[in-house]
Amino acid sequence: MGIDCKTAVDYISKKEEGKLNFIQKYHLFLHLAICYVCKRFEKQNKQMTSICKSSASKEIDILKQSDKEEMISALEENI
Amino acid sequence: MYGYVVQRVKDTHIAKDLVQETFLAAWRNVDKYNGEASVKTWLFTILKNKIIDHYRKSTTRLTDELISDEADQDVFFDTAGQWQKSAYPSDWSISQENKVESKEFYSILIKCKKKLKEIQAAVFSMKYLDDMDSDEICKELNITTSNYWVLLHRAKVQLRSCIEVNWLTT
Repeated sequence: MGIDCKTAVDYISKKEEGKLNFIQKYHLFLHLAICYVCKRFEKQNKQMTSICKSSASKEIDILKQSDKEEMISALEENI
Repeated sequence: MYGYVVQRVKDTHIAKDLVQETFLAAWRNVDKYNGEASVKTWLFTILKNKIIDHYRKSTTRLTDELISDEADQDVFFDTAGQWQKSAYPSDWSISQENKVESKEFYSILIKCKKKLKEIQAAVFSMKYLDDMDSDEICKELNITTSNYWVLLHRAKVQLRSCIEVNWLTT
């Protein structure tokens, strides 16, 4: 008995954490072998997660000077 | 600190509040700082706890949100669990080696993440920005494993779809 695409998408995330048992891995393998849509989802999932991991520490938004000053005065009021 | 938190919460006002609360908490607990870690590390520890507290608040209505989300999922999968034709993933043609493309892609991803429900975005951020595993996330957010996988699944499917619309039209 095969798995549907919704289950395959769920298994793709679980596989990242090694949460699939042998049977589930086998079902996912078979599904991805015949379903190009889920295969493409798997590839895009890898792209999303790896760009997230590599970019998270590099792309930094900076607080505007006016916001910093506002924050300092709010802190002074509370201290 | 603001740069760190703004990638993890939906709203810039909340991000500013969390930074401010962190400084305030640090000031009030300065006598507990023993100097073993750097001030930066200590402040970030407080900030991370503030972010998790903020996430926890969004888990309170979790059950209702999960039920109401069922309808949203029909957009992506049919009743037999197959992809809806309108939701088929298209080819993104992205080169991860190209730094400009990666940067552009990441800014779209962050923009799309802000459109997710707070709890979905929280699960995604903890998993992929903070590199936490599912057991840790469930413990921190006080959610069940099955709810965690449902939230992550929905976050990814919606995020992928939003990125595709924005990426292919840029």
